[in-house]
Amino acid sequence: MSKNPSKLFSLLAKNWALFFLLILILIFSFTGKRFFQLANFQNIIHLSTISLLLASAETFVIITGGIDLSVGFMMGLSSVLSATIMQKMHAVNFLPVLSISIGSIIALILCIIAGLISGIMITKYRVPSFIATLGMGGIASGIALIMCEGFPVTFLPPYLTDIGNGYLIYILPGKAISFFNKPEGIAGEELKELIRIIPNSFIFIAIVLFILWHILKNTKFGQHTYAIGGSMVASVRAGVNTSRHLIIIYVLSSFLAGLAGVFNVFQTGVGNYTQLSSMYELLAVASVVIGGASLFGGKGRIIGSVIGVILISVIENGLQLSGVDPFYRFIAVGLILIAAIIIDRSFPDLF
Amino acid sequence: MDNITIKKNGLHGLLLQLGNKWMIFFLLLEVIIFSIISPGFFSLNGIQTILNNSPSILLLALAETFVIITGGIDLSVGFVMGFSSVISAKLIVTFVGLGMNDALSIIIGIVITLCIGIIPGFLNGILIGRYKVPPLIATFSMLGITHGISELLIEGSYAKNLPKLAGKIGNGNLINIVPGKTVSFFVSPAIQRGERLIEILPNMFVIAFIFIIFFAFILKSTKFGQHTYAIGGNVDAAIRAGIDVKNHIIKIYMLSSLFATIAGIIYMLRFVTGKADSGMVFLLDSIVAVVIGGASFYGGFGSVWKTVIGCFIILLLENGLRMLGFPTFYKLVLVGIILIFAVLIDQFSPELLHKED
Repeated sequence: MSKNPSKLFSLLAKNWALFFLLILILIFSFTGKRFFQLANFQNIIHLSTISLLLASAETFVIITGGIDLSVGFMMGLSSVLSATIMQKMHAVNFLPVLSISIGSIIALILCIIAGLISGIMITKYRVPSFIATLGMGGIASGIALIMCEGFPVTFLPPYLTDIGNGYLIYILPGKAISFFNKPEGIAGEELKELIRIIPNSFIFIAIVLFILWHILKNTKFGQHTYAIGGSMVASVRAGVNTSRHLIIIYVLSSFLAGLAGVFNVFQTGVGNYTQLSSMYELLAVASVVIGGASLFGGKGRIIGSVIGVILISVIENGLQLSGVDPFYRFIAVGLILIAAIIIDRSFPDLF
Repeated sequence: MDNITIKKNGLHGLLLQLGNKWMIFFLLLEVIIFSIISPGFFSLNGIQTILNNSPSILLLALAETFVIITGGIDLSVGFVMGFSSVISAKLIVTFVGLGMNDALSIIIGIVITLCIGIIPGFLNGILIGRYKVPPLIATFSMLGITHGISELLIEGSYAKNLPKLAGKIGNGNLINIVPGKTVSFFVSPAIQRGERLIEILPNMFVIAFIFIIFFAFILKSTKFGQHTYAIGGNVDAAIRAGIDVKNHIIKIYMLSSLFATIAGIIYMLRFVTGKADSGMVFLLDSIVAVVIGGASFYGGFGSVWKTVIGCFIILLLENGLRMLGFPTFYKLVLVGIILIFAVLIDQFSPELLHKED
């Protein structure tokens, strides 16, 4: 812990998560079967879309010094609600486009309202964010379960999974190339040779993440977010309307969780409730902390959180492909989290 | 803690008293409402069901009470409970396999589990007390580690082949009455066909309750308890008052893990198995019970007996709704609402006003 660490060393400590990720990819490329392949990397991104949305929601909240424990259950609620509406509308022969969009929009609106309630409780009534969102999460999960009675919501309109699991470019080597849809008239052996590039989910998440990154880094809103996390009192004195700002933050967080729920419907083709033991929100918090944020507020980056999420996904995927018992990943996430904090504590002047 | 004078007479004083003890009235209200609308709720069987379900949540909530009073949180209790249910089951099966007698292997298994079970708490305490890791993060990583290890130990399934004696202990009752014939304690007597056996007070509830009485005393009337409140009230003041905060925090988290371990052992005895995720469902409930009991997440407030009342509010709600034929999902919604309600009440009580930043 010298005062002036060498440039290389400080670069290494600052971006340890990224370097660790690269090292892991290198190791898994040797140990894992079919790990270092385009298809697998696309798969990793595709499967971490939801975690990325939840983690970016959590990033905003954690930067303000709060925590949102409702994101996982809000996602389940939005997934079940949107799927139920789609199912009901599809059953009475509405156009698929209409039922899909109305279902998604209503679910998102409900999530915004829930975020609004959490935000008001936290700012106006000074309920600790931990408790307010824990209660909101319990309520959301209960409502979702009552709505779907503990079963996935099925019989949804067509095209859902075509959109959620589709790719931007399809290439059949030497024969055909098409965008968004598979080339027509191929089946059997040819389907296996089909090369799929850039999943739709990647485009979607890239756009969302870019917008959020831009908001946090380059706008007044982002600056105020950091200011509130740094010192609430100082930002009140600087004329920031902290109550309004915090309410917007919790609305944004709930909205992103709702978006994750709707996207989950697109990916799986059914409405899934969130199981009580799934711990999406804690994994999201973990990825944000691995990405360099502090639970005391004032610190955190979208890019860091993305690296945190990808790190956890790569560990999961890599261990699986290397034939390691999947339960090691729980241990791995715990250990990395501890490492993240200790590295953060050991070099306080770097961050 | 600050000395703040509150007017304790007149209507204002009455309201304040009510506000402090609302959970007691809420519990009574629950008993009355469920007794009226759900026949069989207020019967020996109904009460026995509730008491049978109570040890896990009571012990986990006891653990959270100590931790939350210091201003922390322990997310790992649920999986430490699962971890210890798995470890104890594995150990006992191993000992029985080595040819030891059933009773001896159960006792030795439990003792070793108690020693292993406090290790996660010790590590939590070191991370939180010494390295100043936020409790949420430290205990979440311990949650992952204990979950992973216990799943690996039982290979994703559950522990089997425990001796029958374990179930006899775990499902026994303190007082067993065969009307007109015998009364026996701890072990149920052999009964003939057609005879009715009245069982009062499950063994496991009695054990949990003894712990609660003991630790309620520790928290309220010993130096250890005073220091716990002091640390939660104001860490800097506690350090200046000469309290060894680091060591105290380590002890608190070890205690928390110890309670979770006991909950796991009780689970193993009751269900004659070990399961990695056996405690996860109780994590949320136990935190809610502590908050209903008037503890504050800023630390410094909370009491064991009020937590016990919080636990029973949840247990009664669960049992009452089940007897009325509602799916358990409704419990989640109601518990969420009660949680927020509890915090709002505390927010308006003058005791907390001086804690605001």
